[in-house]
Amino acid sequence: MSYEFRDKVAVAGIGYSEIGRRLPRTLASLTVEACDNALADAGVGRDVVDGVGSYPDMPRYGGMQGTGEGIDVVTPHHLPHLLGIQNQVRWISSTHGMVTQSFIDAVLAIHSGACEYALVYRALHVPEGSYINFEGEYATGAAQFTAPYGFSVPPAWAAIVLRRYLDLNGLTREDLAPYIVQNRANAQLNPNAYWRGKTLTADDYLNARMIADPMTVLDCDIPIDGACALLLTSTERARDLKQKPALVTGFAASLHEGPTGVMQNLEDILEGSRQVADELWRSARVGPGDIDNAQLYDGFSPFVYTWLEGLGLVEPGEAVRFAKDGRTSLTGSMPTNTGGGALGEGRLHGMTHLAEAVQQVTDRAGERQVEGASRAVATISNGLSKATGFVFTRDA
Amino acid sequence: MSEPTTGTAAPLRPRPAPDQFSREYWSAARDHRLRIQRCRACHLFNHAPSLTCPSCGSEDLAYEDVSGTGTLYSYTVIMEPPAPGFAHLVPLVVAVVELTEQPRLFLTTNLVDAEAEEIRIGMPVEVVFDDIAPDCTLPQFRPAKGTL
Repeated sequence: MSYEFRDKVAVAGIGYSEIGRRLPRTLASLTVEACDNALADAGVGRDVVDGVGSYPDMPRYGGMQGTGEGIDVVTPHHLPHLLGIQNQVRWISSTHGMVTQSFIDAVLAIHSGACEYALVYRALHVPEGSYINFEGEYATGAAQFTAPYGFSVPPAWAAIVLRRYLDLNGLTREDLAPYIVQNRANAQLNPNAYWRGKTLTADDYLNARMIADPMTVLDCDIPIDGACALLLTSTERARDLKQKPALVTGFAASLHEGPTGVMQNLEDILEGSRQVADELWRSARVGPGDIDNAQLYDGFSPFVYTWLEGLGLVEPGEAVRFAKDGRTSLTGSMPTNTGGGALGEGRLHGMTHLAEAVQQVTDRAGERQVEGASRAVATISNGLSKATGFVFTRDA
Repeated sequence: MSEPTTGTAAPLRPRPAPDQFSREYWSAARDHRLRIQRCRACHLFNHAPSLTCPSCGSEDLAYEDVSGTGTLYSYTVIMEPPAPGFAHLVPLVVAVVELTEQPRLFLTTNLVDAEAEEIRIGMPVEVVFDDIAPDCTLPQFRPAKGTL
């Protein structure tokens, strides 16, 4: 493999919409706002965009799957019409799994010349009612083996992983508090963070509402209404734009799956994370020792620890202690989720992590800037199939 | 453990809808037997059941009786009812059991008849059957009493 795409494509612009809960706005208007902000950030107009990609699905488990275009979802087939660019778009990607697959597709589309400026975006909103209630009388497909047991809520799937991790490593919930508190402190320095303005103490964490023991509400990212868009183009073109480019140095996607009698389990998450890491380091031609900040998917908090270990940034079984010692803080040896991650920013399904990695390697992270950050790793999802990893590098 | 079936408005927990792969699993459960799909080509057990063997790709899969014993791989305690039918069942212990027949042969279940203090990863467990409706039985697991 020659990985010819290495460093040839860059993120040239970042755009966020307003972020909130139950905003009196449509998802369409939030998405357009995020896209326009990404274009303005790069100093270009809608007229240059000839590619769009997303994973548009609304994640619901057991309830009605929202499919209303512009209301519950904004698909890459609809967005060009909202932006009035339907006659100039030449490349579209609508992926299944995670939006980061679209990000990979966009890198390759730009590198191949299929398009020149691609918007990769994720738009999510908070549906009415409880997010994860199982509403059906009958459970079909994979859910028939889980929903009858009350195992239809994603925090419970993560709890199975966290409980085993804690027990195998001789840890308790007290050991988890320092990372959560530190992460919330990072969010205070991030203007896009939903939780900006609301600090947290270890006691707050230890007394937080228990969802699925040992997972509390503070171990889950908060569902929000909002969108985030990234503008990708060739590194060469990006160098002429308003911001410094963040080079996409390498990427990898997981195909690892474990036994299906449970959605996810600790050992297979670690194995999938290691597989992503192997390919990621190969594609980027760097190793864990070359990374100076880590943006690790934290839709559920245990994944921060499994990624730290799977990527080889810490020894197996040591991630919680590593974080507890402050090593993942802004002044630690491996600043992690420097903008507060999804736990601090809200649920944008990995866009948070990509956007923060870009900001760090372009010196745009403001008060939370890791001094001299030159290489960031970002991971999305849990290490199993559909998970992805990326390395972003500062432009020389 | 029994839930109300008739003569009450209390909703049931979601019930499994058997399909072509799972019909035999659920009908065996109604007979209070635990049967798991097994590949006739590579002999690995497979759960949840599927069209092809996830290990070797063979379509030659058939159900076999298993011992109904295993160990507790991990668990969680759910505090809020995930559906109306669980209102009287929380806090609910959701357990992942590793069946004796094969390493990493996992099955999701509830842990019943267990005191909170005695639950620990690795503890031996055994199957019991919970008839939640005239046409629906859920395999459940409890701390092993060694009677199976």
